[in-house]
Amino acid sequence: LRLWRCRCRALLSRPAAALRAQRGLAAGPEMHFGFQTVTEEERREKIYQVFENVAKKYDVMNDSMTLGIHRVWKDILVHKMNPCPGTLLLDVAGGTGDIAFRFINYVRSVRQRQLQRKLKHHQNLSWQEIFESYQNDKFNNSLGDSQVVVCDINREMLKVGKQKAQHLGYSEGLSWVLGNAEELPFDDDKFDVYTIAFGIRNVTRIDLALQEAYRVLKPGGRFLCLEFSHVSNPLLSRLYDLYSFQVIPVLGEVIAGDWRSYQYLVESIRQFPPQEELKAMIEDAGFFKVDYENLNFGIVAIHSGFKL
Amino acid sequence: KMAAAGGLQRAGWRLWRARRAVVRCQQYPPLCALQASAALRAPSDEHKKEPWASSSQQHFDSPPAGHQPEQKPQGPHPSYTGQGGQESEDYESEEQLQHRILTAALEFVPEHGWTAEAIAEGAKTLGLSVAAAGLFHSDGSELILHFVSECNTKLSELLKNEQKLVQLGQAEKKPIDEFLRDAVEARLRMLIPYIEKWPQALSVLLLPRNIPSSLTLLTSMIDDIWHYAGDQSTDFNWYTRRAVLTAIYNTTELVMMQDSSPGFEDTWRFLENRVADAMTMSNTATQVQSTGEAVVQGLMGAAVTVSNAGTSRAVR
Repeated sequence: LRLWRCRCRALLSRPAAALRAQRGLAAGPEMHFGFQTVTEEERREKIYQVFENVAKKYDVMNDSMTLGIHRVWKDILVHKMNPCPGTLLLDVAGGTGDIAFRFINYVRSVRQRQLQRKLKHHQNLSWQEIFESYQNDKFNNSLGDSQVVVCDINREMLKVGKQKAQHLGYSEGLSWVLGNAEELPFDDDKFDVYTIAFGIRNVTRIDLALQEAYRVLKPGGRFLCLEFSHVSNPLLSRLYDLYSFQVIPVLGEVIAGDWRSYQYLVESIRQFPPQEELKAMIEDAGFFKVDYENLNFGIVAIHSGFKL
Repeated sequence: KMAAAGGLQRAGWRLWRARRAVVRCQQYPPLCALQASAALRAPSDEHKKEPWASSSQQHFDSPPAGHQPEQKPQGPHPSYTGQGGQESEDYESEEQLQHRILTAALEFVPEHGWTAEAIAEGAKTLGLSVAAAGLFHSDGSELILHFVSECNTKLSELLKNEQKLVQLGQAEKKPIDEFLRDAVEARLRMLIPYIEKWPQALSVLLLPRNIPSSLTLLTSMIDDIWHYAGDQSTDFNWYTRRAVLTAIYNTTELVMMQDSSPGFEDTWRFLENRVADAMTMSNTATQVQSTGEAVVQGLMGAAVTVSNAGTSRAVR
């Protein structure tokens, strides 16, 4: 493991341009897979295998690695989105459906409040008018026409997600689609919100994924990205590195029986562009009012942009 | 080749953005954003706007040529004496789009209150996704501040037109108390369509985050009214006058919140009484001042007389 850390330092001391080329801006076929150098095709295959292997234990590992804090991060993402009923959400790399379920819960509670307010308003109307309003509204619509499409490139992750949905009792408003973030199987101007939580790191060509996000969003639509990012505080950064490289692969071996995948995970976090750079990439794709919010001092960051 | 072209494009955009950002910093300090100038077209005219709006949307959607992205300056910006960037009439800035969304959202306020839902509905009428409500804070503060600043602008125009009429000799110059009463009444009448949800708005305006902006809007409105009333004082009176009128305005607004009389008669009567009180108070103040001066002079005279009498006796 000390070997890994030396390689990490060596990589970080390379000039910025070379690093930038490695960060998914495809100067050539050479790409990074963690700290290894591979071709684009190899990278896609390797990442597919990583997630195929970890799919069943994905949620358990998330909880143990982040000590359950990932749930708070995802909650904050959905709160920031503040969706109102009638929103169409595309959750890319949504695999096991965490964001999708939270979205449905949020929209359901907002819809409840809306219906309560309507009821209070109805207390002033005559019984005839109330009856007529039943005909007009879809009164039994508990989600208010909101829908979420969960898109993932990995069949195994989608399978786990569907099982989870059944188990937790989510039946309406969910769709599961197999698709590649770099080439989405959807038409232009379709979605209100596009989220990608802890997925954009695994995309081989980030610029293509951002362009696709821009394409499928409606005018006025919002792009939200939740991802591990750069910690600027030096003390915290050292502790974080220590934890990442010493503890996480070990957990991976013990819980999931697969330390290589978790080694990849930790390395890919270090290879990912920091907040400002990702913000610039999002602006390049055409988004406006791009901003980011650091959670936990930069361990995780939420980037947000609008298609205006 | 593609990558190189992409790189050049990106570099070009960044240059545009840097210039834009700096020009924006100089032209639009944060407060002016609140008292934003009118949008490129009147927001009320939905029908005439249709072909125009679609073409402007197109401009937004087509990436490279001439995007003018707005960048809120985050931190110190370079002191750059670039040419004063001519704002191209075709492209709408982010600010103007936000202005349009908020104006469209106002008609949904009676139903949804001053919330992000109203803003989402407003965005929907402009053809944008409901997610555009995410451009603003989730408690609706921007919507309320926008509304207040619009009302203030309307009031200024009203007072300016009145002043013009007086200058042209087509109307009589009103006495001060009537002028103040009419100005405050006109301003408060603008709240009538939203009166049910206005208490909610008042409470949001008092949040610590919003106090600087709401206070600035209030003081500038009061300043405006006194300016058109013909106040040219340069001494302490300036402060007392504004404090008095602010108090009158705020108390009348609160009375209006719980007034259920037809046509808000009680509120206007309350306003009349308060303005009358203020006038009496100022008269009394001047009277007290002149009486005070007279008393002081009398005492001085008495003292001089006594001292003279004393010295003359001493001499004898």
